[in-house]
Amino acid sequence: MGAYRADDDYDYLFKVVLIGDSGVGKSNLLSRFSRNEFSLESKSTIGVEFATRSIHVEDKVVKAQIWDTAGQERYRAITSAYYRGAVGALLVYDVTRHVTFENVERWLKELRDHTDSNIVIMLVGNKADLRHLRAVSTEDAKAFAEKESTFFMETSALESMNVENAFTEVLTQIYRVVSKKALEAGDDPAALPKGQTINVGSKDDVSAVKKVGCCSS
Amino acid sequence: MPVDIGVYEKKVVQWKLNLSQIGLDVVRTDRSLVFYENQANQAKLWDVLAVYAWIDKDIGYVQGMTDICSPIIILLENEADAFWCFERAMRRLRENFKSSANSIGVQSQLRSLAQIVTIVDPKLHRHLEELDGGEYLFALRMLMVLFRRELSFVDALYLWEVMWAMEYNPNIYSLYDKTLEQLPDKLNDTQLKQYGKFERRIVRTGATKQHDALAIFLVASVLETKKKQLMKEAKGLDDVVQILSAITGNLDAKKALNEALKVHKKYMSKVKKT
Repeated sequence: MGAYRADDDYDYLFKVVLIGDSGVGKSNLLSRFSRNEFSLESKSTIGVEFATRSIHVEDKVVKAQIWDTAGQERYRAITSAYYRGAVGALLVYDVTRHVTFENVERWLKELRDHTDSNIVIMLVGNKADLRHLRAVSTEDAKAFAEKESTFFMETSALESMNVENAFTEVLTQIYRVVSKKALEAGDDPAALPKGQTINVGSKDDVSAVKKVGCCSS
Repeated sequence: MPVDIGVYEKKVVQWKLNLSQIGLDVVRTDRSLVFYENQANQAKLWDVLAVYAWIDKDIGYVQGMTDICSPIIILLENEADAFWCFERAMRRLRENFKSSANSIGVQSQLRSLAQIVTIVDPKLHRHLEELDGGEYLFALRMLMVLFRRELSFVDALYLWEVMWAMEYNPNIYSLYDKTLEQLPDKLNDTQLKQYGKFERRIVRTGATKQHDALAIFLVASVLETKKKQLMKEAKGLDDVVQILSAITGNLDAKKALNEALKVHKKYMSKVKKT
């Protein structure tokens, strides 16, 4: 199998889901992060698609397996099946369409109903490059993220702004939860089974990670 | 006749919600094609989907329907013709798009797929199950938009044409319209010859009631052709998706459909034995 997959070497595999209303730019955020590509010709996502990318966190290789989901409500039955085992989530809205921000609350509920309580969540306001069309203020989103104890960033998949940061931050936070938990349990984190999705542990870990992250200026 | 305003208004609200989704999707459907650079053509696509969403209230509009509709808009210049053509195509496909809070129609096809692979190739099925792919959700898109995302525009159209020819049933209208006369139980050879290759076999065995679409066997055959790689290299669901995505630009529709017929034959004979 040797030649088949060069990025096979990783210490952790984290499953992350990308959710949010239709047309907010989830697929382009993913392609920007995984392949550094942005397409003006991207199509709607049918069901669930995915991509992977490995990054370094401290001295460890973290492989992110990112599942991109259809935004339309009708697909909810399928997409929620994919929440299973997710340890991180990017909840995306479009800063130029207020309704997509209003719906964030529903997405959050949905996410929390289907995942472990310790899941690392980042609220992402995408399309921040469209300054003249902005309909959601950074302050409002920040306040919401604070209230809900999620991280927050504004991004532009088109201009490649903060995309790397958003994903890296989520993965780093997951890593911290996992390694902290492993430490507390007296385990060597490196001894965790390879290729397994890591469960981010008990409720006690929450307070340690859920603080609002940085955001775009 | 008095009209229940409450019900009617609800329908209008639902429709308007569908319209906004249609609007979001029409602008990102096949936009690499010159045809859709023309706003008038985009508008045609919008019109047909909007009217369909109104008349089929169980379905309304579900993402993926633009992929089915778009080629029809290109092929039939007249908008009304395009609408009726799309409406007929949806009769074959609409079950897949029917959704409730807990499920979406295509899952029934995915269950059939699981059953077929279990019977035809239990080893492969077990392997996929171990990778947490027992629900075959990775094949959802193939079934929902009939390989439009895996194949190029023309390749997909070619596939549809061959597939639907194989599924052709000369009595298709009486199958849709229950008021028409029932078909005779026994068909002679001349009558049978009018049927498509796939449908003919079904009619012959008498399993006409609720049979699986050829598309499901096509997916099964794609899995079969990738079996070696799937068994050896797939260590996670992500690998499965990656291996299957390699069919892009590499799927010979005619060959693949003949393989699908073989899988179907194998399936039928194994089912018969048990």
